[in-house]
Amino acid sequence: MNAVLDTAPLIRFEQVWKTYGEGDMRVDALAGVSLSVESGEFVAIMGPSGSGKSTTLNIIGCLDAPTSGTHRFLGDDAGALDRGRRAGLRNMHIGFVFQGYNLLPRTTALENVELPLVYRGIKARERRERAAQALAEVGLSGREHHTPAQLSGGQQQRVAIARAIVSKPTLLIADEPTGNLDTRRGHEILELLTGLNRQQGLSIVMVTHEPDIAAFAQREIGFVDGCIAYDRARAGVS
Amino acid sequence: MLQQSVRLALLSITRNKLRSFLTLLGIIIGVAAVIAMLTIGSGVREKMHADITALGSNQVFVSAGYRFEPGSPPRDAARPLASEDYRMLARRLVDVQATAAVARKSLRAIFGPNSTQVSAVGVTQDYLRIRNWKVTRGRAPTRAEMESGAGVCLIAPAVSKALFGSDSPLSARIRIGQMTCTVIGLLAAKGGSLFTDEDNTVVLPLEAYQTRIAGNRHVESIVLTARPGIMTARIKREAEAAFRQIRRIAPGQDDDFQAEDMTEIIKFTTDTISTFTALLGAIAGISLLVGGIGIMNITLVSVTERTREIGIRMAIGARQGNILSQFLVEASILSLIGGLLGIGLGLAIAWGATLLIGIPFVPSIFAILCLSGVSMMIGVVFGFFPALHGARLDPIEALRHE
Repeated sequence: MNAVLDTAPLIRFEQVWKTYGEGDMRVDALAGVSLSVESGEFVAIMGPSGSGKSTTLNIIGCLDAPTSGTHRFLGDDAGALDRGRRAGLRNMHIGFVFQGYNLLPRTTALENVELPLVYRGIKARERRERAAQALAEVGLSGREHHTPAQLSGGQQQRVAIARAIVSKPTLLIADEPTGNLDTRRGHEILELLTGLNRQQGLSIVMVTHEPDIAAFAQREIGFVDGCIAYDRARAGVS
Repeated sequence: MLQQSVRLALLSITRNKLRSFLTLLGIIIGVAAVIAMLTIGSGVREKMHADITALGSNQVFVSAGYRFEPGSPPRDAARPLASEDYRMLARRLVDVQATAAVARKSLRAIFGPNSTQVSAVGVTQDYLRIRNWKVTRGRAPTRAEMESGAGVCLIAPAVSKALFGSDSPLSARIRIGQMTCTVIGLLAAKGGSLFTDEDNTVVLPLEAYQTRIAGNRHVESIVLTARPGIMTARIKREAEAAFRQIRRIAPGQDDDFQAEDMTEIIKFTTDTISTFTALLGAIAGISLLVGGIGIMNITLVSVTERTREIGIRMAIGARQGNILSQFLVEASILSLIGGLLGIGLGLAIAWGATLLIGIPFVPSIFAILCLSGVSMMIGVVFGFFPALHGARLDPIEALRHE
């Protein structure tokens, strides 16, 4: 991205506030959060609902900007960007995996995976090759032409991961990626993510409320009432 | 990108076939009405043009009457034209090739127990030649018969059929009103035009018509044809100047006769038809507006239904412009489909109508292309606001949408 790429952390929050509503209805979703995540880290964000973890994830994912404070992405002030530039940043650097998979219905796995490349203006043939390759990486070769309705939950989440990594992002954002899956499928998905993190150095920030899922990460950040309650490296990992 | 949008749009349109169709009804009806009007209009124009040119485009018509203006005296207030006027005019004009005088009346023709309503037309020698009207059986009247006003006549096919069935009418004596005449020839079929059906005509020497039927020396109209290379407008000017002298119209007084050349008549009638069809077409176009509102509505429904999809697309990097163009493409393809269906329906209606009233079916490629373009534009224009609404959604809100 620029010269500070090597020195600047991947994500840096400086006194980030996020406020919703006005007057008496005012709610501080984030109350002066500062944190930083280095490239190659796998971070789990935990916390009860309403603790600010989703808001944090939205800002990290450049879907939202802080009300005050700075959010730096690769050293740049991402919070100051306009909508179009944020969209470009997401497209180039960030992959999303959601709890509900969020695949386009009635659209084949291959086409779903191609989508980020469509918005990057890549030609159809290259899109198809890269999408097929991404599907192979998540173990879904041969299912390119299945629609989401024809795939199990675990498979759908794999398609979503393929879509998130097809554009070779810097950061993968996972919002409760196992929330809709049983334990076994959930662990399979996490093994896949850990593999991507270890082998390709893909940075991952994941929100979860399940301790056994958070255990896959190297670092765990706990949120309570819009503030960081704890931030610790997990013993025995990495 | 565009290809993707088009494919996506087609998918979403075909997924809701019934809904798409109902949405499109307004556009379909509007486009169909406009296309039908224009096609029928140009058919009428074509037919009229053909009818008029069949009469001969190098002709000038002179008849009694004042110029039609608000407050002008009625047509029959003018002095009728007389045979004498015609003879003097014919002598004076040098640039004419042929002249003819015509008078006509609707009468019953009787032969034995059979009778039929005919148009009895008294004419001078050159009339058949000017009209390019052939005698298929028998012969035309001789000059002597014409000048003496002999009791001879030519009948058109429908008259022959009504009076004689399949028998030969030649040499038979028929009654036309108070007059008896011998059929000496059968006229070629002219067919009906938009103005008259000439197949029920009986042609007589003008002299005979005036003395034995009309009882006066009046002439209804005078036909002048220009020599090759002479403009009808010039003939018209000459005829007007000569006729003012013949009829002793003082300077400053209005003409009590009208000379019209064929090009004027053609222009007037086609202009009238064009104005008329344009007006009806414009009224039909209002339905397009209603159709556009339908498109606006359905695009908004589509945006609302696919809020989550919009959120997903935004999360993975779609810009507002991408979302906007996706829904615009969808709206314009939808309305283009409506337009094409409407064009098909309109052409079918026009085809049926032209068959029914017996005019040529002249679909206009220009109108078809125009209306395709217009219906697509309707999609873009009316789809814009709902599409913009979709493009401006907040990605987080959109993703949360159930």
